[in-house]
Amino acid sequence: MRKNKSLRLPLVRMLPMIALIMCLSLLLPWVYIDVGEGALGYNAIKLLNSDARLLSIKLPAILAAVSLLLSILTALKPNKKMLILQALLFAAGTISAVVCMLTAKELITASGISIRTFKISHLSYGLWGNMIISFIAIVITLKAMHEPVEYVALSIMASVWLLPIFWLVITSFRQEAGAYTPYLLPKGYTMDNFSRLFTETQQFNFPRWYMNTLVVAIFTCILTTSMVLMLAYTFSRLRFPSRKTFMNIGLILGMFPGFMSMIAVYHILKAIGLAKSLISLVLVYTGGGVLNYLIAKGFFDTIPKSLDEAATLDGASKSTIFRKIILPSSKPIVVYTAITAFIAPWVDFIFVSVIMKDDYQNYTVALGLYRMLEREHIYDYFTRFCAGAVLVAIPITLLFIKIQKFYVAGVVGGAVKG
Amino acid sequence: MPKLIPAGRDRQSFAGIREIINIFKRGDFATRSSFLIMGFGCIKRKQYIKGLLYLIIQVAFIAYMLGFANQYLSKLSTLGTEAMRREWSEARQIFVRTPGDNSMLILLFSVMSILLIIAFIFIWRANIRSCYKAQQYEKLGKPQPTFKAEIKTLLNERFHITMLTVPSLMIVAFTILPIIFMILIAFTNFDANHQPPGKLFTWVGFKNFTDVFWSDPLISNTFGKILGWTLIWAVFATFTNYFFGMILAIMINKKGVRLKKMWRTIFVITIAVPQFVSLMLMSQILHDQGPLNMLLQKWGFIESNIPFLTDITYARITVIIVNIWVGIPYTMLITSGILMNIPADLYESASIDGASPARMFFSITLPYMLFVTTPYLITSFVGNINNFNVIYLLTKGGPLVTDYYQAGKTDLLVTWLYKLTVDKQNYSLASTIGIFVFVICASLSLVVYNMSGSVKREEEFQ
Repeated sequence: MRKNKSLRLPLVRMLPMIALIMCLSLLLPWVYIDVGEGALGYNAIKLLNSDARLLSIKLPAILAAVSLLLSILTALKPNKKMLILQALLFAAGTISAVVCMLTAKELITASGISIRTFKISHLSYGLWGNMIISFIAIVITLKAMHEPVEYVALSIMASVWLLPIFWLVITSFRQEAGAYTPYLLPKGYTMDNFSRLFTETQQFNFPRWYMNTLVVAIFTCILTTSMVLMLAYTFSRLRFPSRKTFMNIGLILGMFPGFMSMIAVYHILKAIGLAKSLISLVLVYTGGGVLNYLIAKGFFDTIPKSLDEAATLDGASKSTIFRKIILPSSKPIVVYTAITAFIAPWVDFIFVSVIMKDDYQNYTVALGLYRMLEREHIYDYFTRFCAGAVLVAIPITLLFIKIQKFYVAGVVGGAVKG
Repeated sequence: MPKLIPAGRDRQSFAGIREIINIFKRGDFATRSSFLIMGFGCIKRKQYIKGLLYLIIQVAFIAYMLGFANQYLSKLSTLGTEAMRREWSEARQIFVRTPGDNSMLILLFSVMSILLIIAFIFIWRANIRSCYKAQQYEKLGKPQPTFKAEIKTLLNERFHITMLTVPSLMIVAFTILPIIFMILIAFTNFDANHQPPGKLFTWVGFKNFTDVFWSDPLISNTFGKILGWTLIWAVFATFTNYFFGMILAIMINKKGVRLKKMWRTIFVITIAVPQFVSLMLMSQILHDQGPLNMLLQKWGFIESNIPFLTDITYARITVIIVNIWVGIPYTMLITSGILMNIPADLYESASIDGASPARMFFSITLPYMLFVTTPYLITSFVGNINNFNVIYLLTKGGPLVTDYYQAGKTDLLVTWLYKLTVDKQNYSLASTIGIFVFVICASLSLVVYNMSGSVKREEEFQ
């Protein structure tokens, strides 16, 4: 039961002080200026009035001032709603300080003040101070509310982790060509990257690759799922001589580096006349996926054996038990097995590159996208690579989120409770 | 109570040979002739379909051995002597190709044939057994089971045969056969200078292994240094991910933190995005002229580009840090569940005693987690030794240096293996390294296998 704890008043009363320090820290840059062509005040005013874009440089100051006002109000009449607002305000202040810090050099250069006369480092000190103090302020506000301070760390980590993904998505909508831009946000947005992926197919036939991958994935999924379930059931439920031997062989085979043998696989496929075909991909992915039966076996192990025994007394054969009892009660593991098998062809680029060599028509998306980033193509194709990557990542991400629970079970190796 | 499998079953092979000898002693004429003519006993006892099937298998096998396998198996000891030749024919004014041997095909088809011979021996034994069974049925005066009835047992008593056949064939064809082939390649000189059919390769014994360890200075130097870096990498990659991931999991699972599912999903998204996408993206972001360098310069933090992926020290640190970005969410996912299992009263009594959160972490959480997740730690250590994607997609093993044989400073054994295979076609050296990687991984996995209780107590759960 969660007790409705009262606010920590001493902490609430500290907040105005901290907000004040925050405001003062913003004045730090103006304390010392290497005056070249005018007085300190002159440069500061010139900077603040020079450009409309300088709003971002004023924003930390505005936010700090508002925080100060609010914190005084809160200290006079403490209540939780005000504190939440306060925390959000501090957070906004922090973000604006960071943005400001990052853009300071550019803004100052843009406003016509050369760096030599206005030391950027001093501006940065102020902003650093502002940022750090507002962090402390957030922590104190959270403490005052009896809320976990972990929110701060989690927010920072979440943004670090999501930033590259965010960059991928916005780059896929970027209008300007080229691989690298010296800025984070695109100058213009367009859907062209996606449409050109599907219309300009002479060199990189993306729609074809997408279909290839889909076809391979569907067949791999069907074959692998059925075989994995068969192996899992056999080793979980049937007792026969050399069962242990088979399982040990499986374990040992799994310890060889997978692509050590890929050249041999290629020559085997060539010997049976299947090299450079989609069928060969299905066979290779199935062959590689079959050995991952242990998770499904672990799941089958948890289904009570008494069910089987009861069915046997009623005259059911082993195959009936498999089809009518085990499979219907293991839906989650069937879904898990199917999804993992389905994902494999979308994310592999090693085996495809060995098997398909230069046969562009039979590439899968992973290898195709990989080729787009080769040195001679990257300038023209980088934004399209991002668009293609988004199109691949969306379905795979959704599927992965669906099976994450079983992923854990697979790695830890314990039994999964259905 | 644990149920134990009868010990005798594990000594299958010896029991099998003795059984066959006994059958020969006790069998009548029909059973004994089945040793030579498969299915003879069955046909004589009116099990026509079964008998004929055995006979057809035998005929097909003999035809295969004589017509196909013979030409390869006979050359297995030399791997071919006559390379393909191209000679200028004066009369026809063209190059005439004289087809020769192909060491690669000889080895491949020989391995295949040997596997088929082994399979045939098993079928042969099954044939003898069923003929003997038919003899006993006759002696006891019981009616012989019909073919239909025997097929039916494949769905019940012998269901495992039905279930295992197709998956085993897949595994034999695409895993066992290639692995045996590549192991044998490690004992040959199959490299860029010995590419059949133009040039043949042959057996060289343990030369590749001695090359790797001492006799070839360049290769053994490269091997030693790459092995060293692989181990350093695996240690750092495993432990940084483990600790930071666990701390993340603790933060998300802390009592009072709201929106747990949202936080978890945010981090899962980054691992759900296919690795080749997120890592190639990272390698673009960290490129010498990439956005990160550009932005850092624009922000005035640095004066010139930081060679994240092209300087030896920077590259090594970068791959470890990017691996943290890639790997923490995995650890978070895995440790979340275990963290929730730690008995809550441990923490309660600790907080009554006035322990600080840090102390609780080091005295309760960490020991408990280490105890439960040691197998996972070793598994992920093995996984990091084989972590192809992170290295290859970020640095391609670079920066390349001249005192390494076809490798760069961030190359792991597996990426070196990949480069030797795909770019340099030095298959024999690659296979040798592969075997070595296998030995490391197998010995580590053996430790895990012995430690994890779920394997030992398998039968208890049921």
